[in-house]
Amino acid sequence: MATSPYFAAARRRRPAGPGLVRAAVQVIASLAIVAGITFIGYRVIRVNATTAGFAYLVAILAVASSWGLVESLAASLAAVLCFNFFFLPPLLTLTVADPQNWAALLAFLATSVIASQLSARAKQRTREALRRQQDMERLYALSRSILLAHTEEDVAHGIARQIAQVFGFSAAALYDRSTGAIHHTGPEDVPEIDDRLHEAALKGTLFRDADAETVVTAIRLGGEPIGALALRGELPSDTVLQALANLAAIGLEKARAQEAANRADAARESQDLKSTLLDALAHEFKTPLTSMKAATSALLSGVVAEPRARQDLIAVVNEEIDQLNRLVTEAVHVARIEAGDIQLDRARQPLPPILAASLHTLESTIEGREVKVDLEPDLPEVNVDGDLTVLALRQLLDNALRYSPRGSPITLRAARREQHVVIRVSDHGPGVPLSELSRIFDKFYRGSNARGTYGTGMGLAIAREIAHAQGGEIWLEKTSSEGSEFCFSLPIGAEGGAP
Amino acid sequence: MSAGRILVVDDQPQIRRVMRTTLVANGYEMDEARSGEQALEKLRSGHYDLVLLDMNMPGVDGLETCRAIRASRAWPEPAVIMLTVRSGERDKVEALDAGADDYVIKPYSTPELLARIRAALRRTPLARELGQRRVAFDNVEIDFEAHQVLVRGAPVRLTSKEMDLLSYLVTHPNRVLSHREILQAVWGPDYGDEHEYLRVFINRLRKKIEPHPAKPRYLLTEPWSGYRFHLPQNV
Repeated sequence: MATSPYFAAARRRRPAGPGLVRAAVQVIASLAIVAGITFIGYRVIRVNATTAGFAYLVAILAVASSWGLVESLAASLAAVLCFNFFFLPPLLTLTVADPQNWAALLAFLATSVIASQLSARAKQRTREALRRQQDMERLYALSRSILLAHTEEDVAHGIARQIAQVFGFSAAALYDRSTGAIHHTGPEDVPEIDDRLHEAALKGTLFRDADAETVVTAIRLGGEPIGALALRGELPSDTVLQALANLAAIGLEKARAQEAANRADAARESQDLKSTLLDALAHEFKTPLTSMKAATSALLSGVVAEPRARQDLIAVVNEEIDQLNRLVTEAVHVARIEAGDIQLDRARQPLPPILAASLHTLESTIEGREVKVDLEPDLPEVNVDGDLTVLALRQLLDNALRYSPRGSPITLRAARREQHVVIRVSDHGPGVPLSELSRIFDKFYRGSNARGTYGTGMGLAIAREIAHAQGGEIWLEKTSSEGSEFCFSLPIGAEGGAP
Repeated sequence: MSAGRILVVDDQPQIRRVMRTTLVANGYEMDEARSGEQALEKLRSGHYDLVLLDMNMPGVDGLETCRAIRASRAWPEPAVIMLTVRSGERDKVEALDAGADDYVIKPYSTPELLARIRAALRRTPLARELGQRRVAFDNVEIDFEAHQVLVRGAPVRLTSKEMDLLSYLVTHPNRVLSHREILQAVWGPDYGDEHEYLRVFINRLRKKIEPHPAKPRYLLTEPWSGYRFHLPQNV
C-alpha cells in the first residue's frame, strides 16, 4: 500500500538550505560581538579582567537566549580565548597562570549551555503555543463554515472542501457512509484512497503514514462510525485530527437533521394546503346542504302547510341538488387537475353558450350585480373542452366578483386575436398588489385581501392548467387601484381538426 | 298580528329564500339583507325584534355586524341569533361574546330554528309575577317596568336577554341557582346544557353592573353548581 502512487507522490522533502545559511550568519555575528567587546575593553577603555568577564557573560547570555546553542557555544569559546589572551595575566598569551581563571572559563561554558537550553525550550513552547492557537483558529473557522453552511452545496462535499481549504491540506476525501459517496477535493484528486476510507469507516481504525503525509480516520457519532476522512499534506496532531473528525460528524449529522426537518416541513405544508382546500370545499358544499336541510325539515315537520310555500321549498331543494351536482363534478376536475391529470374532451363549438353557462353557475354570487357582456361580432368557433372551459372562466369571473365592490360592474369581453379568441374579464376591485403578481397563478396562493372570503386558492391555478392544456394562455393584462383585467385565450377551431 | 319582525342576514340567496318561506308561513314579518353593511343600514331605518345573522359573510362578517348592532344606540336592541357552520366551543363563545343571544349551527333543521326564534323573542314575565317593580342596592337601581338599569346614577344598556337574566337572578337572591334552572327560566324549556351561554352572559352583566368585574360582589360563581346573586341588605 505504501508504495502506491498516492503515497509515493506524497514524498516530498523540504529543502534545508535557508536554515544553514542563517545559522552561519548568526555564528559569525556572535563572534563579531565577542570581538567587539574585546576591542572596546582592551583598546578603547582599558577595563580590568572582572569587568571584561562580566561583559562577555552578558553577551553570551544574550546570544544564547536569542539565537541558540551553536551560536552561544561559538561565542563562549571565542570569549574564553579572548578573555585569556587579552585580560588574564600573563597578558597576550594563552597560558592560564592562575587556576581561578579556569573557573571563569567554566562559568562561560555553563552559562552558554544553560541559557541556550532555557531559551530553546521557551522558543519551542512559543512555537507550540502558536501552532495550537493556529489550530484553534482554523478549527473555529472550520466549525463556523460547517455549521453555518448553506444547503445549496452538497454538505459532505462542502465539509471536505472546507477542511482542505482552511488547513491547507493538498488533498482531502470524505466518505459518507449513509449515502455511500466519497467526496474528493483538493488539487490532487486520487481515487486509490477509497479502499482505505471504506476500511476506516467499517472498522473505525486510524491509519497514519508519516512518510506519505497521509492520514485516514473514521468519523464517529456516538461511538458509531458514520464515515471516514482522509487528509494529505502537513499532518495535524491527533487532537486536531480528532476535532476535524468530530466536526465532520457534526456537519454530516446536522445536514441529515436539516433534511429530515425539510421533509417534515414539506409534509406539514402540504397538510396545511389540503386542510385549506378541505375547508373551502366544506363551505361550498355546506351552503346548498344548509338550504336543503332547512327546506326538507320544514316540509317534513309540517311547520309550513300552505301548498304554494311547500312548492317553493321543493323548488329550492331541486335547484340545490343541481348546484351540488355541479360542485361534485367540479371537485373531481379540480382533483384531477391538481394531480396533473387533465383529460380533454375537445370539440369545435361556439363560444357564447360557454360564456352563458359560466355566468349561470355563478348566479347566486352575481345576484343583482351588473355583468356587461361585450362580444365581437362573427366570433369563430373555438376548439376546446366545454366543461373545463366553463370551469376556468368561472374561476376568473368568481375572482372578479369576489374581489370587487358589490356596486361595481364586471365586464366580460371576447374578441378574435390571430388563431385565438381572447376573453377579457375586468373588474373595479382594488387590483393585485405588485408583490403578489408573480404568485397569483400558484396553487393554493390566496391574495392578502382574500380575508373574509372563502376560497381554495386553486382558482387561478386551475384556470391556468386548463388554458395550457388546451393550447391557450392566461395572463393578467392590467391591474391598478382602479381594477384588474384577466385574459384567457382559447384556440379557434381550425379547419381539419385539433392543432 | 305579526309574531315579530325578523331581519335575515345571509349572503346566500337560496337560504334567504327558504327562511322567507318558512318565517312568513309561521306568522313572522321578514326582511332580508345580503351583507353586514346592508343589515346595519336596514337596522338604522327600521325596527326589528330579531336578527338572524350568518357568521361567515364576505366583507363585514357576522361577528363584526353583531358587535356593531350592540355598540349602536340608534335603534331598540333586537335579539340576535348567529348562524354558523362551525361548531367549536371557541366559535360559540366568540359568537356570544360579540353580543349574540343564541347561535344555531348550519345545516339546521327548521323546527329547531323556529324554536330558537321563539325562545329569543320570549319575554320573561318573572319580575311582574313576583310583583316587584324596582330593586335598588348599593349604587345599582333596577327598574323592571321601565326596563332600565342605573349604575351610580348613570343608565346602563342591557340587551333583552341580559335584562331577563338579571331580573331572574335579582328576584331569586342569595341562593345557589343551577345552570339548568337559570337556562330554562331565561332561555326556555328547550335549554339546559348550554353552560357557555351563562358564562358569557354573566361576564357581560358583571362588566355592566359590578364595580370590579374581575372580583364580583353580586354575581357570584358557585363552582360546579351554578350562580348565586348576592343581594346586599341595604335594599
